[in-house]
Amino acid sequence: MAGWSEKVLDIDLSTQTYQTYPLDMEMARLFVGGRGLGARLLWDMVGPEVNTLSPENVLIFTNGPLTGTGYQTSNRFSVTTKSPLTGTILDANSGGFWGMQFKKAGYDVMIVRGKAEKPVWIEIKNDVIAFHDASELWGMRVFALTAKLGQNNNKRNVLCIGPAGENLSRMASIMNDRERALARGGPGAVMGSKNLKAVVVEGRDRPVINDPERFKFMLYETRKLLAASPLTSQALPEFGTVVLMNIMNNIGALATRNHQQTQFEGAEAISGEELSEKYLVKNSACWACPIGCTRISKTEKGEGEGPEFESTWAFGAQCGIADLPAIIEANTLCNDLGLDTITAGSTIACAMELSEKGYMDSDLRFGRADQLAPTLEAMAYRRDIGSDLTDGSLRLATKYSHPEFSMSAKGMEMPAYDPRGMQGQGLLYATSNRGGCHMRGNMVGPEVLGLPKMIDRFQVQGKSSFVILHQNVSAAIDSLVICKFTNMGVADEYFARVLSSVTGIQYDTGELTRVGERVWNLERLYNLREGFTRKDDTLPQRLLTEAPTEGPSKGWVVKLEPMLKEYYRGRGWDENGVPKPQKLTELKLADLLVRI
Amino acid sequence: MVDQRIYEMFREIGRDLYTANMISSHGGNMSIRLGDHVIIKRRGAMLGNLKEHDLIETRLDKNDSGVALASTELLVHRTVYMSTPALAIVHCHPRTAIAFSLSRDELVPIDNEASYLLKKIPVVTEEFASGTPQMANKVAEALKNYKIIMLRGHGSFATGSTLDEAFHWSSTLEESCQIELAARLINEPFIEYRGMSASYSKF
Repeated sequence: MAGWSEKVLDIDLSTQTYQTYPLDMEMARLFVGGRGLGARLLWDMVGPEVNTLSPENVLIFTNGPLTGTGYQTSNRFSVTTKSPLTGTILDANSGGFWGMQFKKAGYDVMIVRGKAEKPVWIEIKNDVIAFHDASELWGMRVFALTAKLGQNNNKRNVLCIGPAGENLSRMASIMNDRERALARGGPGAVMGSKNLKAVVVEGRDRPVINDPERFKFMLYETRKLLAASPLTSQALPEFGTVVLMNIMNNIGALATRNHQQTQFEGAEAISGEELSEKYLVKNSACWACPIGCTRISKTEKGEGEGPEFESTWAFGAQCGIADLPAIIEANTLCNDLGLDTITAGSTIACAMELSEKGYMDSDLRFGRADQLAPTLEAMAYRRDIGSDLTDGSLRLATKYSHPEFSMSAKGMEMPAYDPRGMQGQGLLYATSNRGGCHMRGNMVGPEVLGLPKMIDRFQVQGKSSFVILHQNVSAAIDSLVICKFTNMGVADEYFARVLSSVTGIQYDTGELTRVGERVWNLERLYNLREGFTRKDDTLPQRLLTEAPTEGPSKGWVVKLEPMLKEYYRGRGWDENGVPKPQKLTELKLADLLVRI
Repeated sequence: MVDQRIYEMFREIGRDLYTANMISSHGGNMSIRLGDHVIIKRRGAMLGNLKEHDLIETRLDKNDSGVALASTELLVHRTVYMSTPALAIVHCHPRTAIAFSLSRDELVPIDNEASYLLKKIPVVTEEFASGTPQMANKVAEALKNYKIIMLRGHGSFATGSTLDEAFHWSSTLEESCQIELAARLINEPFIEYRGMSASYSKF
């Protein structure tokens, strides 16, 4: 069928064998690809009895029916696993080139099971799968390894882990194409636990498109829409995602010094404008992307991709640091070590607060830019203080008897948007299936940028409807898989039409959103099966009880409880946050309910 | 109790619909979805002059006392919400668009703004055009694929994530129809300026 390759590659590292078999196409129709397909497969493979870093956990790499078609931003792919950081279901997706190459190799899915006896790397050239000894590569950092394995943007693409993944850091990312990251939730640690250092792909097959004429029209219209949107044609190309720094700071929703404040006096110094003026070499783009939000930045210590807004915030405002070169270097270092910048920065901030308040014996202090690089090195290698920090802020703060200083939800560190100034964002963090995350729906669109239309960021009644919609749409986009920034210029009704033109299956806008709802509910079921409950749908006490004393969000805390009740009702869940049988039947998930 | 912010949104959009000549004194209606509830205009209330007591909250999936007060087209709104991801619906009577709907099965804009935003607006026919199940099903079915549709000889139904957005599509449609009407009065050959416009009717 057009769109899908209809083929699964299933690798067992314990025996260094593989098999291929047809993709279940009914499953594909219901879950599409990427995050959705990964979640459905993980449901069957990894239950609550499985330790996240044991050989029984799996890595499921998925692309989607749009991947590699040439539709704008159709370069992305996903990895799904049980998270070593949170214990929840986890999917992380990434751009670059690897996903497109993986699709061209002729697979929708690659499952990696077991554990190799010694370090290995895998090479895939369509039907030829080779296992190589990686003993000499073990210990290499990402940039050197990527070059050594022959990264060549459009022809041969490298996905790997760095030292952080080898040392089972629970914030370890999987890197691809040198500086793109499957970052959040620690998938790199799962890869490290399997002694898998890298997967290199060369593909030769172009995806088949069912209705090329209709597809061409959608390409044409999408290009016009992206060119017409100031966000996708001007703000992101010129300033990157860091364009948000001043915007968030001005409205008093920029989490600062481990969320102790909501505005940072040094925001201007770490803004997108400052980055572009002083450190930007050029912008860059993933495959088939006309937006080009990627920064190539340079400091005295070298050149690298990024930093993104969240990374700049994590090492900047969250750590009270206004030194942009130090932030750029910390970001590049994380990419080379294979660390998630958001969790890394926020965990350092947590340690800074613990230390400043005398609960932890370290010299880490807010504002100390000089401490970033050595702390990150120590984290990646589990050395000295790094061994305390490398498993995330919740484990750190719990060890020092103050878990309330971990700015996380379900154990995942929240990104830059302080939800006291954005009520919907608070509900979104509390209910996100992989923990405190801005990529599982993001209320910055409607609450800050006016996309598609502005809603009052302090409004509580009715906010849950927006959160549910954005979560569902987000899950659908992650299942296609394309970049969410496309949605800043192009409405989801276009995505449904593109999917229909590629696959030949008619998805209307509602059906595509329903795919997202199905994925969201499946992920919820997964977490319930793992033992998560209503009490986990919450936020750090600071956000619920400590109102900012100044700035545009002065006096506001997150009014979570009324929003959460309304959210459960709106989702068709009971008062404990469990999907009702009627809802699961409606979503064609009823057969799973008997298994939790 | 409806949040003051929500009331103000209803009042402002209702007033704008009236002053834009897109409804008569008591015509049209609108609603928003709040999870498993709907807030909708009270039956007989004037959209251009809404009071707080003119907003009725009722269940989405079953009846309660609110249905005694709600707009006669509550069923249409409910059916649309159950069938689409919409969070807001605006139903109004844009006069030029209604006039065009009398002779066409779809409206394909010729102006730039509506070409960009709407591409195509299907026209649905239903004789008993006031809150019947038949009408509700037809409107909801059409809105699965389009954010605004015309009910022949009656008016438009537009969806969005906010009332603001649904109003945007409604006013864009009427403006587009007024432009086409003016162009037809001028009666000079049309010069195509849009790429791939032949594909609009397949949108």
